[in-house]
Amino acid sequence: MKELQDLARKLLTEGTVQVVIGYEEGPRTARPAFITDPEKAGNLIFDKRCVQNLASYLNPRRKQIVSLGKAAVVVKGCDARAVAGLLRENQILRENIVIIAVRCGGVLTDPESNAELTTETTSARCGNCDVREPKLFDYLIGELPPAPPVNPKRAEQIAALEKMTAAERWAFWSQELSRCIRCHACREACPMCFCVQCTAEKSTPLWIDPSATPRANRAWQTMRVLHQAGRCVDCLECERACPEHIPLGLLARYIADSVEKRFDYKTCDDPSVVAPMGIYRTDDDEEFIR
Amino acid sequence: MNIYQPYLMSIKEITDETVDTRTFRLEFKDPAVAEKFTFNAGQFGEYSVFGEGESTFCIASPSTRKGYIECSFKASGKVTRALRRLSVGDTLGFRGPYGNNFPLDKMKGHSMLFIAGGIGLAPVRSVIWTCLDQRDEFKNITIVYGARSVGDLVYKRELEEWGKRSDINLCLSVDPGGETPDWKGKIARIPTAVEESGVVAADTFAVICGPPVMIKFTLPVLTKLGFPADHIYTTLENRMKCGLGKCGRCNIGPTYVCKDGPVFTAAEIRALPQEF
Amino acid sequence: MTHRFLSQADLKALIAELVAAKTRVIAPVRAKDDPEQLDYLPIQSLEEATFGARIPRRSLKEFFLPTTEILLSYHQTKEGVTIKEVPTEHPPQVLFSATPCDAAGLDVVDKVMNWDYKDELWNGRRKAATIVSFLCSSMDATCFCTAVGLGPDSSRGSDVLLVPVEGGYLATILTEKGEALLQGKGKAEVPAAVQAAADAAQSEARKKVEANLATIPADFSEWLAKNFDHPLWKTISLRCHGCGACASICPTCHCFDIVDEHNSSSDGVRRRNWDSCQTSKFTLHASGHNPRGSQNERFRQRVEHKFSIYPTKFGDILCTGCGRCARVCPGGMDLPTLIGELMTLAKAEPAESKL
Repeated sequence: MKELQDLARKLLTEGTVQVVIGYEEGPRTARPAFITDPEKAGNLIFDKRCVQNLASYLNPRRKQIVSLGKAAVVVKGCDARAVAGLLRENQILRENIVIIAVRCGGVLTDPESNAELTTETTSARCGNCDVREPKLFDYLIGELPPAPPVNPKRAEQIAALEKMTAAERWAFWSQELSRCIRCHACREACPMCFCVQCTAEKSTPLWIDPSATPRANRAWQTMRVLHQAGRCVDCLECERACPEHIPLGLLARYIADSVEKRFDYKTCDDPSVVAPMGIYRTDDDEEFIR
Repeated sequence: MNIYQPYLMSIKEITDETVDTRTFRLEFKDPAVAEKFTFNAGQFGEYSVFGEGESTFCIASPSTRKGYIECSFKASGKVTRALRRLSVGDTLGFRGPYGNNFPLDKMKGHSMLFIAGGIGLAPVRSVIWTCLDQRDEFKNITIVYGARSVGDLVYKRELEEWGKRSDINLCLSVDPGGETPDWKGKIARIPTAVEESGVVAADTFAVICGPPVMIKFTLPVLTKLGFPADHIYTTLENRMKCGLGKCGRCNIGPTYVCKDGPVFTAAEIRALPQEF
Repeated sequence: MTHRFLSQADLKALIAELVAAKTRVIAPVRAKDDPEQLDYLPIQSLEEATFGARIPRRSLKEFFLPTTEILLSYHQTKEGVTIKEVPTEHPPQVLFSATPCDAAGLDVVDKVMNWDYKDELWNGRRKAATIVSFLCSSMDATCFCTAVGLGPDSSRGSDVLLVPVEGGYLATILTEKGEALLQGKGKAEVPAAVQAAADAAQSEARKKVEANLATIPADFSEWLAKNFDHPLWKTISLRCHGCGACASICPTCHCFDIVDEHNSSSDGVRRRNWDSCQTSKFTLHASGHNPRGSQNERFRQRVEHKFSIYPTKFGDILCTGCGRCARVCPGGMDLPTLIGELMTLAKAEPAESKL
């Protein structure tokens, strides 16, 4: 993608940034790239296989990336929502990041397949997308492709969950979460899980047993998804990272839908829009917090 | 036999060394174990509070004394805080002894220089008492011990005892600003105290334990005084869990601190990948 | 080492017999959430299983080193503590159609579990299990078992190796356990043509995977040790999230944590749980000091442990070339490709330390 490559080359040569975080061709499929040498800017690509949410790499605790210097990051609309989240929550300063937003036509669930985008192959996250032309950027590049086909799977799964009684939903999630091995790959891949010390890592007091038991697994996953309420950008990195193939994206989506219903709020790419659980107001609807 | 199963120990005595450092004297609940149990100075164990977890400390008592072991610890995390909540008579778990030890057989017939800072005296104390219990086997014994302040000195009763002995050259020191009005010891950091202790390097082994920064600045002094790197012994700490070479947590390059250590010479440490 | 010929019917009958005797039988089964994938699961009959189709998503590790394993349980009152021991003897189980890379992984980990203290929890499960592996012919571009000294027909860790031939399977009996399992089953005479066909299949399979990555030379381990401070470690793992998914599905990663768990005010257990050197707090000291404070150092540890430290200490690469780490990684890290690049670098910059 020449426009992207030229821009990256320019930013690096002029010293505006010291690293461009984007995508490149890997041995298996598209993979994250950290371009520090302007000569390598030609490696940058962008297509339907670029599923990773590169905002994860902006976590200030990733010392090895921070040490590279000021970064430019390539984002799709959904990824831009994560960058907005990091800005909203003061993890990064706006002037310390250059945002290269790319107009997006959807991504695949399985990038290695390199299949055409169809209702079956398109990622579930593209279903409700209203940010194919991102609004948070320093540079907006690329042609706007046609909207991707909508994969009905997610809506079907949500509908199925909504039809269940509470007991049935408990049984469903207990079954799914029983496979969790507490590797926390979901947390590490998530751009919004940036806490220096996760609640699950705290030992004094011990909030959640660290072992992969049904009780502790339920506690861990529900705690994580509730901490993501109003913050999750539906990038599905958690689901992609999970080595046990637990439908974590479904759980996150379900919570996001609840937040939308109750608070009339969707995670957005405008950092100035405050998240419902992200602000304290003395006229809050809930008395316990006033 | 389950190697992860601890011995049951009973707390016999509790001593508060400082505001935050406590010593336990522990006895084996099983008399058969008490009878058979031996260890060598420098070795460590995994001490546990059932329900809270395990924690790694050296065995701070001498290997020459049978029937009990001692450990000293600071309450810095979940398990150590739980240990502090225990009383005399309470039960805790102990797995050990693990690791290598100070090579006392090599050191016999020579002079010893013991250097420690703060709670670093705990592993050194084990060696000191083992040596004192066989005093004839060693030539000169010099102990240079210090802490940030008088209040941070541990094993105060024994410091007094050692100070009274004519067969030990004891030099106590506190950092400038850490002295009390009636402090009669030195006021200097450990590296200076060592340099001014009058110790001679010839035919002497040095044993040094304490905060990494103390060791970092004392090693050059020892080198200057003429101690070869393979005559200087120290202990390395690393995060541990199993303590017996299986869980893969404590390695520095191919060296497992729980198996090849925790006792190392300065020469061995210099050869390690600097990842500790 | 002897051979037997088993027909499909013989195999079906063997499994039925084991199930009837209440022996747990594990084999690859099509995954419910994705029928293209296989998982090692208990079966009641041969029909439920899919033999030799592709590498199952997770290794056999979880049957020998469970994700979470109770080390002891305790009962604690003012009067004292009683410890209830956990059994180290287990009921027998047979694992069918293990990939040779998964079977070999068990053999490799046996070494650390027995080098001084004998881990009887691991050994007990190993003793109780019989492993029937299956010639692998479903290798993909990510497999590299031959590079680490194994192969799609490796016998390491197996009690029996099955090679599919016309009409059934050639079974190579490798151990006494394998002998006991197949005693009287199938036919003892193996026609020369069957043996030849099996040899050809094995040879073809090996050629396929050899094409992926050259054999790792014996001095690679030394090169890695000498190049601990090479600048390359600062660039090759920037995309790594430190999530540890690689360690969890790896047949040879065995690092674990030990934790206590209250179940009531008086009772609880001590467990060991899977852990990974890739997580940020793996080596964090109580003082706050962390010897491996950035992902660069943690990824270096992974490579050094597998390809330098374990070979130095135990004579085996801590890797069986199954490729799962590359398939599961969300960040696009690709260990086989990386090892290939390091091997090329080692050839170009032999031996000398980069200090």
